[in-house]
Amino acid sequence: MMVVVAMMTACKKDHSNYDYKTGEKITVKGIESSYTLISELDRLTLTPEVSSTEPNAQFEYLWGIYETNVQGSAPVLDTLAKTKDLNYLIKQAAKGWVLVYRVTNKTTGYSQYINVPVNVVTEFTRGWYVAKDDGTQSDLDLFLTPTSIVPTGKRENLYSSINGSKLPGQANLLSFLSAYKSTVTGTLGNTRTLVLSTDKDVATVNVNTLKKIFTLDNLLFDAPTVKGPCQVFPGGGSAYYLLNGGNVHSIVNISANIGKFGGRFLKDANNTPYSLSKYFISNTLSNAYFFDETSSTFFAIGNGYGTALSSISDVTGTAMSASNNNQKVLYMGLKSATYLPSPALRYVFTGCAVFQDKSNSSNKTLSSIDIDGYTMKLTNTSLTNADKLYNGANMTLMYGQENLMYFSMGGNQVWSRNLSNNFEKLEYTVPAGEEITFIRHKTGAETNYAYNYIMVGSKINGTYKIRMFNKASGSISGSPVATLEGTGTAKDILYISPSVSESTNTIQW
Amino acid sequence: MKKLLYLVLLVAVAAVSSCKQDQYYLYNDIGRVQFGPEPSRIYTTSYDLADTLKPYTFYYEDAAVKEDTIFFDIYAIGGTTKTDRAFTLEQEQIPNAVNAVAGTHYVAFSDPKVSKFYVIKAGTVHTRVPVIVLRDASLKTSTPKLKFKIAANADFQLGEPNKIWRKIEVTDRLSQPAQWTASFTQYYFGKYSVVKHAFLINSSGEKWDNDFINNLYAVGGLLSYYQLTMKTALINYNNAHPGAPLVDEFGEVVVFP
Repeated sequence: MMVVVAMMTACKKDHSNYDYKTGEKITVKGIESSYTLISELDRLTLTPEVSSTEPNAQFEYLWGIYETNVQGSAPVLDTLAKTKDLNYLIKQAAKGWVLVYRVTNKTTGYSQYINVPVNVVTEFTRGWYVAKDDGTQSDLDLFLTPTSIVPTGKRENLYSSINGSKLPGQANLLSFLSAYKSTVTGTLGNTRTLVLSTDKDVATVNVNTLKKIFTLDNLLFDAPTVKGPCQVFPGGGSAYYLLNGGNVHSIVNISANIGKFGGRFLKDANNTPYSLSKYFISNTLSNAYFFDETSSTFFAIGNGYGTALSSISDVTGTAMSASNNNQKVLYMGLKSATYLPSPALRYVFTGCAVFQDKSNSSNKTLSSIDIDGYTMKLTNTSLTNADKLYNGANMTLMYGQENLMYFSMGGNQVWSRNLSNNFEKLEYTVPAGEEITFIRHKTGAETNYAYNYIMVGSKINGTYKIRMFNKASGSISGSPVATLEGTGTAKDILYISPSVSESTNTIQW
Repeated sequence: MKKLLYLVLLVAVAAVSSCKQDQYYLYNDIGRVQFGPEPSRIYTTSYDLADTLKPYTFYYEDAAVKEDTIFFDIYAIGGTTKTDRAFTLEQEQIPNAVNAVAGTHYVAFSDPKVSKFYVIKAGTVHTRVPVIVLRDASLKTSTPKLKFKIAANADFQLGEPNKIWRKIEVTDRLSQPAQWTASFTQYYFGKYSVVKHAFLINSSGEKWDNDFINNLYAVGGLLSYYQLTMKTALINYNNAHPGAPLVDEFGEVVVFP
């Protein structure tokens, strides 16, 4: 009986398909590998050639587009056309998109997908932005770079001409946030945002339109009790930080938020007053580090989280404690970030600071700062009057490159100091009558727009000049590649393009 | 050979008799009715017992407000019908508690003012159940409980036993909002107390009622903002009162986690 049952179930007719014919291949020609188009101006006109290895192919077509860099929702394919060719006026917001072309052979049901990146831009999405002021109010100038990194045109006072008024206060750092949340498109989403900060206010600005999103009055959940000086910059863990009047606020950008900064961080469980320096150490790779000028103490915030500043422990052998060290910070910045191999798997920072003793202001110290999480080791070099840096101003570091600090001397000289051997070198002298207002080192690696510039801003008779120099072995090389000029006093400069993100350049003094 | 045959037969009988459909109660015998979460949560298991208890306070309302309506969601199971079907509610006394009194603390379920709404309309399986609470003077000093349940009638039998009742705690004093949930307690503002609640209201100028707490969750970043600012306000209060930190009605020092 069991054998009969086994025999009845063992035999089954084979209905498998043994037709091993070569699979169909649909070929599409006439579509580029990427497109860059201006919103509301350019048309996407495509007439692709489509063929199939199947002789009797009957095609149907679908064109669609979806956005990239979406957070908090799944991107949706928006159908543009169901025709073979496409003739479409680009209306999408300026950011990254993907064009999808689907060709289906109705006879076989086989489909071929073509995906092409589309960079939608406006006239504001590419160029050198300059933060400047007239002594009491700030504005933005844009130097246009349609074909190369060297500007060929200029749009002055863009912030005020688009928003109706300048931003109160003298300009501070100019920063860029690529995933800042706003509703500028009608729905909450990532917004490529330029942040103009001054000593009295701050404005988040949609870089596609240059329209302001928030200013200090509504950038926080409640009206601030103090107004400036302000700085905004990104930190690790997708955190954004706002320094306002020595207080720090954050946005934890990986959590749901509406682009408003949270409450003022506490210093401790007693709400002891503090006043953070305008100098900080932060980029998108790790914690943000601050210096409390009241207590002369370093603090950290990890990923924007928490309600209180985190204290820093000293590493054995430190030349100076990170806490209550009786110093004032004359400059502080980030020099490099190093990724530790397994099992650590985290970034450690090397920063640099120039301190001035609170009890004896003639005592100045250059410190190399090694930071690992919530520990710190300072290695000090005393500065004397013989060091040009002792009387330096407009200090800046070359993040991720040579171990150099740049600074100005006497108002018109640009000096470098080798932080490894303390060798100081006069790099450049601006023409007589000009006064240096800032020095920055910034880099970009975009194809056809690569740069590695040391930039020196100066002012004379109510106008500014920004000289952009190539760099060779850390030194200024030759004459300026370009000199940007405009009215007012320039305080910072930043290059923006569709490929720039908040991690492209470390925002710092 | 005979033994082998018996063995095969035994196995066959066992095989046939071992599979039998379980007698699950399919609720398709007659229309039944039971409470549930709001319709958008009906398929979210974790919300099965949501809204079991709804605290309510007249505390925030103008003195002219003498009554208010609290809504619950109720669902018919067993399909729709072509005619309206009424359901019946009745109060259940809670032992050793101050029970609400019909006509004093709430409008009786048999009162046409509310009973006319206790109907599942033809072709539907859901309706909102209004319960009208009354602002009696006694609510200034007490918090009576109104537990009510579905009673079987000609149209409906009872649904799942743990879903046929609901409870309201009504008062005219500051009381724990329903949205001050276990997770709100654990992750954000700690154990509820009237003193803490009043402190939050006084420090922020906000009501800290259900609508306000719902909005804290709805607006990204707002919950963290209030966590930090209220914590700061409490520190500042305690700093201003050295040796006399804010203490709640249970004698415990008020803290935010």
